[in-house]
Amino acid sequence: MSRTYVIPLGAQHVSLLEPIRFLFTVENERIASVEADIGFVHRGIELACATKFKFKQVPYVVARVCGLCAVVHSTAYVTAVERLMKIETTRRTKWLRIVANELDRIQSHFIALGHTSECAGFEALFMACMKDRETALELTEAFTGNRMQFDYVNIGGVNRDLTPEMALLMKKKLSLLKNRVNDLQELFMSNWSLSLKYKGIGVVSLEDAQRFNATGPIARASGLATDLRVEADMLPYGDVGFELALETAGDIHSRNVVRLRELANSIRMIENILDGLPVGDIEVPVKGNPDGDAISHIEAPRGQCIYMVRGNMTSTLDRVKIQAPTFANIPVIVNAFVGEEYGNAPPILASFDPCLSCTAR
Amino acid sequence: MSRHSVRSPWLLHFNAGSCNGCDVEILACLAPKYDIERFGIVNTGNPIQADILLITGPITKRARERVVELYVQMPEPKVVIAVGACACTGGVFRGMYNVENGVDSFIPVDVYIPGCSAHPEQIIDGVVKSLGILAGKNKEMEFPTQLRGPVTIDRGQVDRRGLAGSVASLEKGCTNRGTEN
Repeated sequence: MSRTYVIPLGAQHVSLLEPIRFLFTVENERIASVEADIGFVHRGIELACATKFKFKQVPYVVARVCGLCAVVHSTAYVTAVERLMKIETTRRTKWLRIVANELDRIQSHFIALGHTSECAGFEALFMACMKDRETALELTEAFTGNRMQFDYVNIGGVNRDLTPEMALLMKKKLSLLKNRVNDLQELFMSNWSLSLKYKGIGVVSLEDAQRFNATGPIARASGLATDLRVEADMLPYGDVGFELALETAGDIHSRNVVRLRELANSIRMIENILDGLPVGDIEVPVKGNPDGDAISHIEAPRGQCIYMVRGNMTSTLDRVKIQAPTFANIPVIVNAFVGEEYGNAPPILASFDPCLSCTAR
Repeated sequence: MSRHSVRSPWLLHFNAGSCNGCDVEILACLAPKYDIERFGIVNTGNPIQADILLITGPITKRARERVVELYVQMPEPKVVIAVGACACTGGVFRGMYNVENGVDSFIPVDVYIPGCSAHPEQIIDGVVKSLGILAGKNKEMEFPTQLRGPVTIDRGQVDRRGLAGSVASLEKGCTNRGTEN
C-alpha cells in the first residue's frame, strides 16, 4: 500500500545556496512528481539595462546578474555591443578575457564539486574543495583586483593589464593547483562511499538531454557534445588548447568527472596563454552609439549564455535580452528527480549546480 | 543564556535576491582559509536555533515575506547583519521594479557590511562586531518594521509565525502595526 506525501524543499533550506522552491510528491520514498518555483530572486535587471543605465555602464550591471559567472555575463554583453559598433579588439584583449573567464570557471566548478560532496554527506571533501578554490580566488584577486564581482571587461578592452610578475605568480600557483586537481580526480573516481551516492543516481539519458535541450556540463555528462567554446567564435578558444570533456553515463558521478576534466583543461589553457600572450594594447577607443541588433554566445560554467542587444543610436539601449544557462536546464533538472529516492534529492540538485540569480535575473 | 550564545552563536543565512557573490563569500568564511568556526560559529538552516541572521540581496518582492517570517521565528536575543552593498541600500539594484531597496525597510538591522561583493575579512569583522551587540541585548521582543502582524498568545506562548503580517495589507498601503504587550 502506498501513501502520497507532498514535501516542500525551500525557499530557505540548509542545502540550498539560493532560494528555489521544489514541491516533491513522494510515494514510498520515491519521488513521483516535482514542481519547481524559480522566481524568488527576480529583480528586473533587463528593464533597468534598457532604461536606467547607459550602454557603457551596462557591463557592470549585467555582472550583477550572477556573482559566480559575473565575467561571463559582462563578456557576452561586451561582445554583442562590439559586434554592433564594429569594434575590432586586439588579440591581447581576447586572450586576457579568456584568462578571466577560465579563472571564473575554475572557482565555479570547485564550488559545484564541493557542494555536491557536502550534500552527499562528505564534509571533509567540501572543505578540501573550498580550500583549493581559494587558490583560484587569490589568482583572481591578483589578476583583476577583487575576489568576486571583479568587473574586468569593458567595451573595447579590459580594465587591467597582466604584468610579467603576475604571470610568474600565476604559473607557480597553477602548477600547485594542477596537482590538487589530479588528487581530487583520483578521489572522486575511486572513493567507494562516494560512488554509492553518485553512480547511477540522477541519470539524464542522451535522449532526455537532446529532448530537453540541456546545456553545459549536464549535457556533456550525458554524451551530448555541445560546447560554445568550439561552436561559437566569440573568443579564440581554438588557439589556446581547448579540449572537449565528454562522458556518457549521465549520472552525478559523470557530471563530477566532466567538471574535474574541465578544471584540468582550464588550467592548461591559462598556462598556454601565459606562455604565448600576444603583445599589444589592452583597449581600443570607443566612439558613437550602437545601432541595430546583435547576438553573442559565451559558454558559462553552467552552459550557454546568450545575449541579444538592440541599440537605437542613443546612449541608452532599446533591449537587452539575457538567456541564462540554468533557465534552459530547469526542465531537465525537474525530469531527473522523478523516480529517485527523496534522500538523494539534495545531491542531485547540487550536481546540476543551478544558478537561480542567473535564471530569474 | 546570552553568555553561551555569544561564545557559540549559530548563524542563519538567507539570500533575498542577491547575485550569489556575497553568498559564496559567506561560504568561503566557513571554509578552511577564513574558518569562522574558530569563533564557535555554526551554520544552521533552522531559524528557531539561530542567533545571527545574515541577509544578502536587496529584498525582492517575492523574498520579503520569507525574510520577515525567518526574522520573527528567531528567538530573542538576535542580531541581523546586512551583507553587501545591495543589502545595505539596494546598491546597483536600487529603484528596479521588483526590489525593496535594502533589508532595513522591513526588519531592524544591527550591522551593515558594505562592499560589492563583501570581502570575507569584512564579513568576519561584521560578525565579530555583532557578537558585542548580541551580548548587550536582553530577551525583549523585537518586531519587523513592516509586514507586522498582531501579537497573539496561544497556550501561554506568543504565536511567532503570526507576528509576520500578510502581504495583502502591505500592498494596500496600510501596515498592520499590531498591539504591543
